[in-house]
Amino acid sequence: MRKLIEFKNIVKSFDDSLVLKGINLSIHENEFVTLLGPSGCGKTTLLRILGGFISQNEGHVYFDDIEISNVPPYKREINTVFQRYALFPHMNVHDNIAFGLHIKKQDKQTIEQKVKKMLKLVNLQGYEDRPVTLLSGGQQQRVAIARALVNEPMVLLLDEPLGALDLKLRKEMQVELKKIQQEVGITFIYVTHDQEEALTMSDTIVVMNNGEIQQIGSPTDIYNEPENRFVADFIGESNILEGVMVEDYKVKFDDQTFECVDYGFEDNLEVDIVLRPEDIDIVPLEMGRIKGVIKSTIFKGVHFEVVVETPYREWIIHTTDKVELDKEVGLHFFPEDIHIMYKMGSY
Amino acid sequence: MVGAKSHKVLIFALMAGILAFFYLPIISLMVFSFNDSRSLTSWSGFSLQWYEALFKNREMMMAITTTLSIALMSTFVATILGTLAAIGVSKSKRLVKEIVLSVNNFPILNPEIVTAIGLMLLYSSLNIQKGYLTMLLAHIIFSTPYVILSVLPKLRRLDPDIAEAALDLGATPLEALWKVIVPMILPGIISGALIAFTMSFDDFVISYFVSGNGVKNISILVYTMSKRINPTINALSTILVVIITVVLLIVNLYPMLNKKKELKEAE
Repeated sequence: MRKLIEFKNIVKSFDDSLVLKGINLSIHENEFVTLLGPSGCGKTTLLRILGGFISQNEGHVYFDDIEISNVPPYKREINTVFQRYALFPHMNVHDNIAFGLHIKKQDKQTIEQKVKKMLKLVNLQGYEDRPVTLLSGGQQQRVAIARALVNEPMVLLLDEPLGALDLKLRKEMQVELKKIQQEVGITFIYVTHDQEEALTMSDTIVVMNNGEIQQIGSPTDIYNEPENRFVADFIGESNILEGVMVEDYKVKFDDQTFECVDYGFEDNLEVDIVLRPEDIDIVPLEMGRIKGVIKSTIFKGVHFEVVVETPYREWIIHTTDKVELDKEVGLHFFPEDIHIMYKMGSY
Repeated sequence: MVGAKSHKVLIFALMAGILAFFYLPIISLMVFSFNDSRSLTSWSGFSLQWYEALFKNREMMMAITTTLSIALMSTFVATILGTLAAIGVSKSKRLVKEIVLSVNNFPILNPEIVTAIGLMLLYSSLNIQKGYLTMLLAHIIFSTPYVILSVLPKLRRLDPDIAEAALDLGATPLEALWKVIVPMILPGIISGALIAFTMSFDDFVISYFVSGNGVKNISILVYTMSKRINPTINALSTILVVIITVVLLIVNLYPMLNKKKELKEAE
């Protein structure tokens, strides 16, 4: 895939607070990229820099290898779906969608054709004459997407577009957005703080925190191979422990040495270790190297969330088997379930 | 029960009295503008002669033309200036916003006579010949703040993403202003323009001090003529009252009608 957008060492501060601390990121054609992070991590700021609504203090933005930092938003081949839709309330659905085409002075017939096509794409046929103020949140969302896509941009920016919708609608829209992206075949850059949303839709996830990129990777990479404690903690539930890498393939935590599949760390380096709750099995006491007592169990629908207390810590375990409270049990996991990470500077 | 009833009657009487006190002079003025004789106190029959006299009187017609042209032009300029200023203020930082708004309120709260003398002194010290242009300028100056005050609340309710959305869709800043922002704040702009029009149309104090060279608006003319009894003044005043009343009715009814329209659309 061709590289379409490149951020080079983007620094941005508002007043005295540094919001982006040197972002380097490449985005490719037809890619669904999600900027994921907690609120205040700088993800929206990065998106707004790409949209042209604010400018960075340092660094460069390249679009198709051309520096666009000084190109105003109305000259960029990028369109945005805003968080609160930002539809024009004095226009109906048709005029909202046709706005960009009118501005570009396309002829009437072309406009009608394109609007019709978009309404079909977002499943809003027959809504042309409705005032947008009377639409539901989900419908407004669709109009906002159609209004952006009708301009045939090379990149669509989406700033937490599903944040205002209820859970069921959000799930539907996630699937639909992914479908739309594959249909129109352009780059989507999606901003969210919802890790599940990111895992569902993205080709690439960019995890951000405190104005820095923590990890870039596919959803499976991010989930299975988190780069550091922050990513592991932010993406899904996990047991994060501290330990020492004794030598290649051997890690020591809770006063025991376990075999693992990681190598290439310095010997005796202090590291963070991730064990996903679904990778740990509860086994009879004598079969586990780690022993503890079942402290609580909560029914979560598909699985039980079980907390097992050992002298060192509490473990969170997801299991489909019913377990007895206060029972002494053993814990078992395989070497490949242990994931070793470098410690973060800030931790 | 009886006590409560007489209470109500008393309140009603008081209100009627107050209204009569306010409006009887105006009503009598209007009635006697149709009087057959010169008298302002005794009715001697219906006639339109004072209106005829008014329309034949060159000086009065000049004053009407001056008033209307100044009102229209100053409204036009003040509306554009005020709207742009309001948009600028709404995008400014808090401190700038507060300073500009305080300065904006000053001419509104200030006694008119102070503004009038201030402007007069300014024109004299700059050696500007007082006349039509100075009056027009003064009218623009004192009506612009009202436009700002009327447009600002509409802007405050505007989603800040809206302007960005327009830019995002390819509109230049001017196109975004004209095709998106202005239509959305139009009710505020219209009521601002109507207020500016009435302010200019019936202004006397400031106009009197900044005009010269024989340029008179209706208010100045009426003032200079009021020393002698002349029922054409009644005719002129009647026309004035009718115009102002109509404009005020529009100013007050426009938002209500607008709301009704919105409600209807909502159904």
